[in-house]
Amino acid sequence: MIQERSYTLRVIWACMIRDIRSMLTDRAFTFIGILTPLNAFLLMSLFVLAGNHAPAVVVMHDRGPLAQQFYQSMNATHAFHLDQTDAQQAASLLQAGRTVAVITIPADFDQRVQQNQPVKVGVQINNLNTDFTNDIRRAVPLAITSFYAHAFPDVVTIVPKEQDVYPQDTDYLRYLTVSIIIIGMMFGGVIHAGTSMSHEWETSTMKELLLSPASRWSIVLGKMLGAFVVNVVSTAIVLAVLILAVGVQPVHWGEVIGFSLLCIIIFIAWGTLLGTVIKQRKEVVVFSLGLAIPLFFLSGPFGPISFSVPLIQGIAHLFPVYYAIVLQQHAFHGFDLNTYGAGVNALILGAYTLLLILLAALALRRSTIAH
Amino acid sequence: MIIEESILSKEVAAVANALASTAQTATPALEIRDLCKTFGKFTAVDHLSLTVRQGEIFGLLGPNGSGKTTTINMISGLSTPSSGEIRVLGYDVRRQVRQIRQLLGAVPQETALYEELSAWANLDFHADLFGIPRKEKKERIENVLKLVQLLDRKHSRVGTFSGGMKRRLALGRALLHEPQLIYLDEPTLGVDVQARRAIWDYTLSLREQGKTVLITTNYLEEAQALCDRLAIIDHGKLVALDTPQQLKQLYGAQVVELEIAGTGHPAEQIRALPGVKDVAVETVQDGYRLKIITEGVNNLVPEMINLVSHNGALRDITMRDPNLDEIFLRLTGLSLRD
Repeated sequence: MIQERSYTLRVIWACMIRDIRSMLTDRAFTFIGILTPLNAFLLMSLFVLAGNHAPAVVVMHDRGPLAQQFYQSMNATHAFHLDQTDAQQAASLLQAGRTVAVITIPADFDQRVQQNQPVKVGVQINNLNTDFTNDIRRAVPLAITSFYAHAFPDVVTIVPKEQDVYPQDTDYLRYLTVSIIIIGMMFGGVIHAGTSMSHEWETSTMKELLLSPASRWSIVLGKMLGAFVVNVVSTAIVLAVLILAVGVQPVHWGEVIGFSLLCIIIFIAWGTLLGTVIKQRKEVVVFSLGLAIPLFFLSGPFGPISFSVPLIQGIAHLFPVYYAIVLQQHAFHGFDLNTYGAGVNALILGAYTLLLILLAALALRRSTIAH
Repeated sequence: MIIEESILSKEVAAVANALASTAQTATPALEIRDLCKTFGKFTAVDHLSLTVRQGEIFGLLGPNGSGKTTTINMISGLSTPSSGEIRVLGYDVRRQVRQIRQLLGAVPQETALYEELSAWANLDFHADLFGIPRKEKKERIENVLKLVQLLDRKHSRVGTFSGGMKRRLALGRALLHEPQLIYLDEPTLGVDVQARRAIWDYTLSLREQGKTVLITTNYLEEAQALCDRLAIIDHGKLVALDTPQQLKQLYGAQVVELEIAGTGHPAEQIRALPGVKDVAVETVQDGYRLKIITEGVNNLVPEMINLVSHNGALRDITMRDPNLDEIFLRLTGLSLRD
C-alpha cells in the first residue's frame, strides 16, 4: 500500500517536473504564459479606465468663492474628469473631439447666486456617444443640487441621511480591478493547462503516458501541478500590480493568498479537462477565450450579481467564476456579495475543482489513441 | 521522498522470472481469442484468434485500415475489445491492464518522444513512469543509451536528432523497464538504410535475450528478415498465419518470369501445363512479360520455352522464390501499400 502510494507520488512528481522542464526549454512561450494573466488584467483595466470618467472642461469666467464651490461640487460627482481652461482652448478641444463637454460658469455667477437670481451655466455637449452624454446630463443637475446643499443648507431642506454597510467607500476602479484579476487567472490557468494537455495529444506523447502503468488521475494531477507552479508566478505578478500599482490594499491578506491559490487550481483543472477533451492547442485557446470572456461578464464583475435580473443571477450561480469573484471581493474589500459566507463559497469552488479533476481523469481514462 | 521499487515492478518481476524459467512452455506471450472490435456499424477487428509464443518475433501484416493498430491498441489496453479475450503473459487485458503495461514495451510509429527535452530527460521520465527503482535508474539509462548508441548525445535535445536516432531512442526507452513483450509499430518507417539495419539488429538481439517481439509492418522484406511467424490480417480478419517459408509454400514454390519479344504470348497454353498454379501477363516494350507461379516443377521450363518459341523470341528468363508481396496479393487481392 505504501509502495503503491510512493509510486503514485513519484508519477505525480515526475509529470510535474517534466512539464516545468518543457516549459523552461521554450522560454518565449513561458514568458508569454506568465504574462498572459497580467495582459488580461491590464487590458480589462484600460477598458475600465476608458469608460470611467467623461473628460470635460470648465471655463471659469468667475473665480469667486461660490463659483469655486460649484466647481468642487461638479468634481465631487465623480462623473467628470474636469480640467479648467479658457474659452478659446475649450472651443478647440470640443471641435477636436478631445472633450465631451464645455461647462461655462458666467462672470456674474457669485453675484447672481447671492442675489437669488437665475444663473445660466452653459453646457456644450459633444453628443456622439450617449453613454458619456448622459453622464454629463445627469451630473450637472446633480452638481447644482449638491452645490446648493453645501452653500445654502437652509434652502435645501431634503438631505440624505446615509448609513453605510461597509466602513470604506470603494470606487469603481478598485472594485472592478479585483474582479478583473479573476479573468487574468482564468486566462492563465485555463489556457496554460489546456495547451499543455492538448500538446501531449498533438505530439502523441500522450501515448507514452497512457501506455505506462501509472493511474490516469496521477498523470492529471502531475500535469496540473506543473501548470500550477507557473500560474502561481503569473498570479503573484498580477496581485503585485493590483496592490502596489493600483493601490488596492487587501482587508484579509490570508484570504487573498488562499483564495488565489484555490482559483488557480480550479482554472487549471478546467483547462486540463478542456485539453483532454479537445486535444488541439489552437482549439483549446479559441474555446477558452470564447468561454472565459462571456462567463466573466455574466458573473458580476461590475457589482453584486444580486443587483442583476434573476436569469443572469441563475446563470452566474452555475459557474465557478462567480464564486471566485465573490471570494476575492471578500478578501480585498471585505464585501459579502452573497449570503453563503466565504467558507461556503470556498467549499463550492473546492467541489467544482474536485469535479473537474475527476472529469479530466475520466476523460483521459476513456481516451484512446486514434489512428 | 524515498521511493523503492514499486509494488507493480515487484509483482511483475516475480511473474517475469517465473515465466522465464518456463519460457517456451505453458504461458504464451500473447493469446487472442475470438477478438472483435466494432465502431458503430464498422467492424475493425472480426473474430481474430492467434497465439504468440514466448521468445519469438511475430509479425502482424496488413494494409492500412486492416485492423493491425486497433488490435495492438486493445492488447495494450488503450482500447476496449467489443468481445473476445486477450491475455498477455497470462494477464487478462480487461482486468489486469496495469500489469500488462508493466510487461509491455511499446515503440509507437510516431516515436512519441518529448522533442524539447534531452535523450536522458526522456528516459529519466520514462523510468519514473514505470517505477524503475531509483538506485538502478542511472545505470539502466546509461546501458540503454549505450545499446542504442546514443550515449554521446545523452544531453542533446531530441528535436535535433535524425529520424533514425529518434527511432533508436524510442526503442531504448521501450526496453528501459525490461519488458517481456516488445511491440514495434512500423519500426523502420521513414528511416535510412543504415538505421534500418541497426534497428533490425537490435530487434534480432531481443530474441536472443528471450524477449518476445511483436511487429507491425508494411515492409514484407522486413517481416521476412525478422519474423519467426507472420499473421496476415485483412478487413480485421486473419487471412493467414505461418512462418514466412510456409507462407511461400502456400503461394507456390517457384516463380518463373519470361520476357517475350513479339505480338503474341502463350499464357493460356502455359496455364494448362500440369504444375502451373497461375500466370500473370504484363505488357512491356515490343512484347510481354509472363509471371508464372509453379509448384516447383523444374522440368516445366523447357516446355514453357518451347511454347514461347511458337509466339515470338524469348528475350529473358528468371527463376526465383516468391516474395511476400506476391503472397499477400494472392491472399487479399490487395497490395500491402494500397
